[in-house]
Order: sequence, then structure tokens, then C-alpha cells
Amino acid sequence: MIQVRGLTKSYGKQKVLGHIDLQLQKGEVTAILGPSGSGKTTLLRCLNFLEKPNAGEIAIGDVTVNCKGAGKRDIHKLRQKTAMVFQNYHLFKHKTALENVMEGLVVVQKLLKADARARSQLMLDKVGLADKQDAYPSQLSGGQQQRVGIARALALNPEVVLFDEPTSALDPERVGEVLEVIRSIAREGITMIIVTHEMAFARDVSNHVVFMDDGAIVEEGPPQELFGSPKEERTRQFLKRMTQEWSYTI
Amino acid sequence: MGRRFDITFVYDFIPKLLGFLQITLFIVACSMLLGMVIGTAVALPRLFRIPVLQRVSRIYVSFFRGTPILIQLFLIYFGLPELLKGIHLDVTRVPALAFVILTYGLNSGAFISEAIRAAVSAVDRGQVEAAYAVGMSGFHAFRRIVLPQAAAVSLPAFSNLVIGNLKDTSLSFTLGVMEMTGKSQTLGLATQHFIEVYLSLSLIYLAISLALERLFALAERRMRLHEPDVGVLRNQ
Ligand SMILES: Nc1ncnc2c1ncn2[C@@H]1O[C@H](COP(=O)(O)OP(=O)(O)OP(=O)(O)O)[C@@H](O)[C@H]1O
Ligand SMILES: [Mg+2]
Repeated sequence: MIQVRGLTKSYGKQKVLGHIDLQLQKGEVTAILGPSGSGKTTLLRCLNFLEKPNAGEIAIGDVTVNCKGAGKRDIHKLRQKTAMVFQNYHLFKHKTALENVMEGLVVVQKLLKADARARSQLMLDKVGLADKQDAYPSQLSGGQQQRVGIARALALNPEVVLFDEPTSALDPERVGEVLEVIRSIAREGITMIIVTHEMAFARDVSNHVVFMDDGAIVEEGPPQELFGSPKEERTRQFLKRMTQEWSYTI
Repeated sequence: MGRRFDITFVYDFIPKLLGFLQITLFIVACSMLLGMVIGTAVALPRLFRIPVLQRVSRIYVSFFRGTPILIQLFLIYFGLPELLKGIHLDVTRVPALAFVILTYGLNSGAFISEAIRAAVSAVDRGQVEAAYAVGMSGFHAFRRIVLPQAAAVSLPAFSNLVIGNLKDTSLSFTLGVMEMTGKSQTLGLATQHFIEVYLSLSLIYLAISLALERLFALAERRMRLHEPDVGVLRNQ
């Protein structure tokens, strides 16, 4: 239901993504792993055209877009199929938690205010922030802000939610609450792509793992396989390094 | 020069001058409105990096920020009609007030465009991306996310501009416009109590400046409710 074919992206002369092919099933949680600078963020941002790919094709649900000739309409359609959770939350600072969640429903999906409000309250409740609906982002902790970010994405009822390192800007003691929320929505069968450095979480929550290096997909497969018996040397090296780092921080 | 200082004249002058306050405020209001339109138009090419036009904007801003407003008044009042004669447009019957408003509008437009630019850059790019990610158009992202925050950020600068503009309008008497300062000249000449006139005039300008300052501070607090730090700073 999500299909990427021949996606490439360069910044000037620097090739960041070289011919990415990817296919994900509905209801699947995909984790994207890889060293820093391997192009994970760029790939995610190409899917909703926050970065314009140079070439390739993206199909999400019933929308297929050829990246080369993509116009405003195509981009808008694609964005309506996706929602994004950002590393630094990027909440609308002048709006309350509830208004943040409502914004897309009212402005883009043209829901009635009352319906949008009801739906948004439901979403805030889902991420455990029903009592914070009137708080401004500046009055919330990082973990709470990120949960609002997740509610904002879920409210849109997208085909796929894109997460870019949702916990890496958080204080260590706040990481757990956000991962817990993501885990609970994963159980509801919402399609997600998660870029993360949390190996244990990726292993635990995903159905599919993609390992990237140097702008290409090196290896992909179910988590048991990729973590248990990686085929590629680069994957092995990376996982070894990550688990070492992980045990140091304990 | 003039007669002996006599404070009672101040009581006499203030109401007389206040009779012309409306003209002063009219100039301020019209020129600030005009300035906002011009300021927006001038800021846009630089915000969106439109080739050629952003150069024109920069030159415009440099000129109006870099020359005395008195000279700008003279240039527009005496120069513009000459220029318009070239295209056979006769503006000799247009009142001086219109030239005053035009000059102050053009002048504050330059300053307002800079305030807009600074304020828009203060809203982080990430929020715009978040707006795009939920499916908003560029227009909606600007109007619903960037503009309200930029407006709040620019309010202190805008407040300074309005108060500066209020004081600058006192120069329009040089073109013979009968606003408060113009009236003070005639009152001074008639009574020969110049010091009292200028004292009265300062008191009025001061009172209005202070009132405007309060008003903007209130507006700012309302618009920046989402930033608790603003209130904290103010209370210190
Ligand atoms: N706007 C940009 N202009 C130029 N180069 C960029 C830009 N954004 C990213 N890059 C480059 O593209 C490459 C991939 O970056 P990307 O952010 O996708 O990596 P990543 O896998 O998400 O890394 P990290 O784990 O550190 O977040 C990097 O080499 C980076 O320097
Ligand atoms: Mg990244």
C-alpha cells in the first residue's frame, strides 16, 4: 500500500539518496535504522515532499505521484495521505494543545469546529493528555509536547504516520512515556514508518526493519532476522556499535 | 523673546491645542495604515527572495531610513508635483495634508518592512513544515501559523514606530498643515508666550505617547499569552 520506486535525491552535486525501492504493507510498522547521515530523514521527508525528490515514484493508498513532474496538486494529495511527527515536535507555539490537534482538521479537512474539537479531545486522551488540552506548548514538557505532536498526526487519520527520531530530543527519563504511546498506537494497526536510534524499541515494536547506509537500503526484513542474523557485514557492524553504546549508557 | 513666563497660559493653551489633536491623530492613523500596506509590499520580495524586486526593496528602505524625514517631506511636497507634471497630472490643488500623509506613509513603510522581516524570520521554519505536513497550503501556513506569531513579535517595534511617527508629524507644520504643532506656532505668535505653548505641546505629546505605550503593552501581553516568559520579564 506504500510503494516507493527509484527514488533519488541530491543536494547540488551531493547524492543523498540513490535509487530507493521500498514496499510496505498496510498496518505494518517499519523501523528505519542507519548511521548518522545515511539519508533516513531525507527519505522520510521525501515521502511528504518536505524535500522534493529528484526522480522516482511514490504511491500511498490510491495516490501515485511521479516525483519529477509533481505539481502542487500532487503534493497536496500526498500530504493528505501522510502525517509527520518531528524530532523537535514543531508544535504551533501560539496554539494550545487542543488547537494544535484541531488545526489540520479545521483548515485542511474542513471539519466543523465542534467535530474537530471532539475528535481532537479523543486523540489527546489517547496520548494521555486530556487534562492538558488548554496548555500552550511552552507550558508542556518535551515528552508532553511530543505526545501532542503524535495526537496532531493521528487526528488526521492518515494512511501512514512518519516519525523522525521522535524521542531523540527528549530527556532520558521522558523517552519511555513517548515510546509507550507509540507502542500503543502500533497495536491499533496504524501504518507507521519510524526512524529511530532506539534499537530495543525498534526490535520490539516493528514488523519490518530497514537498514540504510550511504543513501541506500543495505538490508531489510523482519526484526528477528535483521537483529538476530543480519546478512550484510555493514548491518552487523552497525548493530554491534549500537548495542555497545547502549550498554555503555546503562 | 516673548513675554514673562506665566504658567496660567498652559491651562489656556492645552484645550486650544487639543482642538487640533484630531488632525495629528488623523495623520498618524492614515500614514501608519499606508505604511503597513507599503511595508508588507516592500517586505515580501525580500522574504521570498524575488530577484530584481528585492534589490528595489533594499534601495527603498535605505533611502527612507537614511535621509532626514524633513528632507523627505520637502522632496515629496515640492518634487512630486514636478514629476507628475511630466505625465500631465496637475496636483497643485491637492492639499498639503495629502503630501504629509504620503511622506509619512512611505517613511514608516520602510521601517515597518524591516520589522516584518525580522518578525517573520523569528518564527521557526519547523512550524511551517509542520503546517505543510498536515496538508496546509503556503497561504494558510503563512496566515494561520506565521502571521499571528510574527505580529506578536513585531508589536514592540511597531509600538516604537507609531510613537516615533506621532512625534515626527510635528514637522508637517513646515508645509503649513494646521495640526497641533502648526497651531502652537500661531498661538505663540499671537500671545508671545512661546515657552508656555511649547510646554503645553510637550505635555500633550507625552500624554499620548504614554497612552499608546500602555495600549501596545496590553495588546502585546494578550497576543503573547502563549509565552509565559514575556509576563515574567515584565513583572521584574
Ligand atoms: N538541506 C540540505 N542541504 C545539503 N545537504 C543536506 C541537507 N539535508 C541533509 N543533507 C545531507 O544529506 C545527508 C543525509 O542526511 P539525513 O539528514 O537524511 O541523514 P540521517 O540519516 O537522517 O542522519 P541522522 O541520523 O544524523 O539524523 C547528509 O550527508 C547531510 O549532510
Ligand atoms: Mg535524521
